[in-house]
Amino acid sequence: MVDFLQNNPGVLFVIATLLPLASFLLVLLGFGLWCVFRPYRETEYGAVLYHLFGGDTPGRTPAYFALGAIFLAFVCSAVGFGWYTVASYKHESDVQAKEAEIKTRTDEVRTAKGHQKKEEAEIAALAAEKELASLQDHWKDAWAYRWPWFKVNPSGMSDPARGTVIELGYRIDNLSALMFVMVTFIASLIHLFSMGYMADELAPTVEDHQVHTEDGHLHRRGRFGRFFLYLSLFCFSMLNLILTDNLFQIFISWELVGICSYLLIGFYYERQSASNAANKAFITNRIGDAGFIVGLIIIWTYVGSFNFEDIFRQIRWPAEVTQGEVQPAAKLVRARADGELNAAGKQSFIVDPNGDQVIQFPRVPPEEHSSPDVGSRIEVATSPKPTEHGSIPYWVLCVAGLGVFLGCVGKSAQFPLQVWLPDAMEGPTPVSALIHAATMVAAGVYLVARAFPLFTPEVLIVIAYVGGITLFVAATVAVVMTDIKKVLAYSTVSQLGYMMLALGVGGWTAGPFHLLTHAFFKALLFLGSGAVIYGCHHEQDMLKMGGLFRKMPITAITMLAGVLSIAGIPTFSGWYSKDAIVGAALEFAYAHREHTLLFVLPLVTAGITTFYMFRMWFLTFTGEPRDQHVYDHAREAPWTMTVPLMILAALSWFFVWGWDPSEATASWLEHELRRVEPAAVHVDFHAVHRAAKQFDGKFALSLHYVAGLAALGVVAIGLVFATLVYYYRALNAEETKEQFATLHRFLSHKWYFDELYSVMLVRPALVVANWCKAVDLLGIDSVLHSVAYSTRWLSWAEGKFDNGVIDGLVNLLARVTLRVGVAMRQLQTGYLRSYVLFLVLAVVAIVIALSYVVMTAAAGP
Amino acid sequence: MTDSGWLQAYLLVGALLFVCGALCMATKRNAIGILMGVELVLNGATVNFVAFASFNPAFQIEGQIFALFVIVLAAAEAAVALAIVLNFYNNHTTVDVDTAEELKG
Repeated sequence: MVDFLQNNPGVLFVIATLLPLASFLLVLLGFGLWCVFRPYRETEYGAVLYHLFGGDTPGRTPAYFALGAIFLAFVCSAVGFGWYTVASYKHESDVQAKEAEIKTRTDEVRTAKGHQKKEEAEIAALAAEKELASLQDHWKDAWAYRWPWFKVNPSGMSDPARGTVIELGYRIDNLSALMFVMVTFIASLIHLFSMGYMADELAPTVEDHQVHTEDGHLHRRGRFGRFFLYLSLFCFSMLNLILTDNLFQIFISWELVGICSYLLIGFYYERQSASNAANKAFITNRIGDAGFIVGLIIIWTYVGSFNFEDIFRQIRWPAEVTQGEVQPAAKLVRARADGELNAAGKQSFIVDPNGDQVIQFPRVPPEEHSSPDVGSRIEVATSPKPTEHGSIPYWVLCVAGLGVFLGCVGKSAQFPLQVWLPDAMEGPTPVSALIHAATMVAAGVYLVARAFPLFTPEVLIVIAYVGGITLFVAATVAVVMTDIKKVLAYSTVSQLGYMMLALGVGGWTAGPFHLLTHAFFKALLFLGSGAVIYGCHHEQDMLKMGGLFRKMPITAITMLAGVLSIAGIPTFSGWYSKDAIVGAALEFAYAHREHTLLFVLPLVTAGITTFYMFRMWFLTFTGEPRDQHVYDHAREAPWTMTVPLMILAALSWFFVWGWDPSEATASWLEHELRRVEPAAVHVDFHAVHRAAKQFDGKFALSLHYVAGLAALGVVAIGLVFATLVYYYRALNAEETKEQFATLHRFLSHKWYFDELYSVMLVRPALVVANWCKAVDLLGIDSVLHSVAYSTRWLSWAEGKFDNGVIDGLVNLLARVTLRVGVAMRQLQTGYLRSYVLFLVLAVVAIVIALSYVVMTAAAGP
Repeated sequence: MTDSGWLQAYLLVGALLFVCGALCMATKRNAIGILMGVELVLNGATVNFVAFASFNPAFQIEGQIFALFVIVLAAAEAAVALAIVLNFYNNHTTVDVDTAEELKG
């Protein structure tokens, strides 16, 4: 066991993934048995078993299972992460040492004098190369594993290795290990918080004040256990998504995450708004998933594998090959066909940066690789064997990238599919925290980061602009929201936009970096808002709060840490990541002047973010209470809720500090992430980086630094505005609102996106549905109904005939027989004499008849 | 009188016996009396058989055989009928056939 773990430490992460699944299955089994024993709860043994599995009152056991599982998963992944970090540094230095050794050996081979010495040097060089290869193999075995799951169409393909095996697998690198720690940690805290927050659900009957039935409010059984059941499945799905090394498994988790969010958003499904929100989230995600499937199909068709490494290796030119180990895929090579198809099914391609095809590289890498020059020729096969070059039309690759990105747009609530996330606030607040911080919406950003080499430059620009639009739109809407959770929801959408923008402009580390820091402070903010809502007895409107600092100081201070962090105040975690994003954006905009908007949007939005976050904090915690009733009943949350808040507050502050907290680019987290940056980033954004370097050289001032300063300035303006308006009340917010009534209406209607979709999609769909309904009712139904009516009429007539004529005849026969029988029984007197009389009369009659016959016969001819 | 004239005399006696038997069956209430009537009817028939056997050479053997059959039949019938009468008497303490009306429809 220990040996196995030492050789395969990646299994730690697999265990961490499976623990929540185990908890889910156990709790589900418990519920199943509860349901089985429930009908027998009146019997002697049945009662014992029924109470063993829960009884009438929902118990805390499911929560203990779920919390235990996720906490153990956290421990596993934390150990795994530590192990990985230490091992990866050691591995890196080992590899470097070996490479240096190989270099000196090769030099020796070149300079060695004499045959004997040359041979010795050659043998030493070969040995070193072998050692390096085994080092790499050992590393791969330790942290990755691929397992053939099932075969698709194994006999129907000309090339049996192509497009046949669906694999399961895991692959740990710094990105997934960090995500693992983040997700399990935040999920643990959210589980703990939920045990306090969902305590209302522990009662045998819960009254839902928001659902009105004929006889007052709705009464239902408490659903404490069910909540934790869903949470466990949610965590498992998310961890599986991070763990895996292939798109197919990601897609499975993707859908699982979708269904879990559906179940949890619709947790209070008796409320119309909650079930609508759940449907909206699910259906909106479905649109994204349709794109994802298109991407999957294209990749499967051309590459024949869902494994990330396989995909990238085939569509990008391997940077270099050292000792049989292909270094991370790097460069998209475009080419155009030149000449006719020859007899062997091969065509000559010329490498051309504007070519309409992308060269697909052999799955079995050849010995030598050198970057092809523009104008060089490549032989490409139409149906390539594993050792041959193939080609993919460039636009198809773009569509695949856009498709996968559309999936991410749906999951991460990007423009234009952002509409579901604010509605998802209908779920219990810990769920919102989980969705917004660690699981659902993180999945989209994670996938974009993971699948980065798949995206062509055109797709990356789309990603950047989608992110840019999203972050601006969502931030402007957040300014006018009055529901505390809605503000946070829009801030999440906006921050996700930041991440997408960062990835799109080539700030690969900045995106996941912000994802990780955002997870902490957004979980903090959501749990804080949960504590506020809990303390105010489910009041969510900030206009009815105010002055709550005195009532709930812990919540207020911890939330302030979150607000400072998201606003990007220096030394808070949000500052480091946002600085990285703005820096990347400026570098990109500097190199591509036509995309200046991509820098302006995040810069301006940084100020807006600060403004609305402080607005939220001031409105909630400072000033005079605006609703005395709410204020009087407000109370601080129990320890299960405040402890997670304090932990998260601390982590949102100093968690990402590097060796010098005042240095924006010195965060250890960013450093760790930079180590897994795909080589594709350097190649695709080579021009950007070169331009930035030139600027740095020219002005002795890094572009990154300029962007950071500008952002700080904007943040300061936002902070000053918020303080003036909502703390000192120098500007009356109400009056301002009336002055800009049109703008306010526009924003508070969320840019009329819901209305737009309603007009563009929902209503047309309804109209078409109504047409279909009319056709159904008038056409198909009328035919069916007429058939049914005529059949019924025919049956009726036939029934009448049957009853009247056929049965009548039979009855008549019976009746006649009866009458005859009744008449005849009169003859049966029982007197012997009368029988004899009949006998005699009969004899006489026969004699007369016979004599008549005989006489006529005698008289005849 | 010719031969066939004598035959008619026999047939007349047979018919007389038959009618006497039938009348006896129809009028008697005593079961024994009815049995006697039955005997008379059978004997009337036997007279006919014997008469025809005697006057019609083609019927010589058959007539006599039939007569014998009828006598044996009458004996058997009398045995069975007397047994029934005895049982009837055991059940009803009478041999009046008018009381035996269970077969009435």
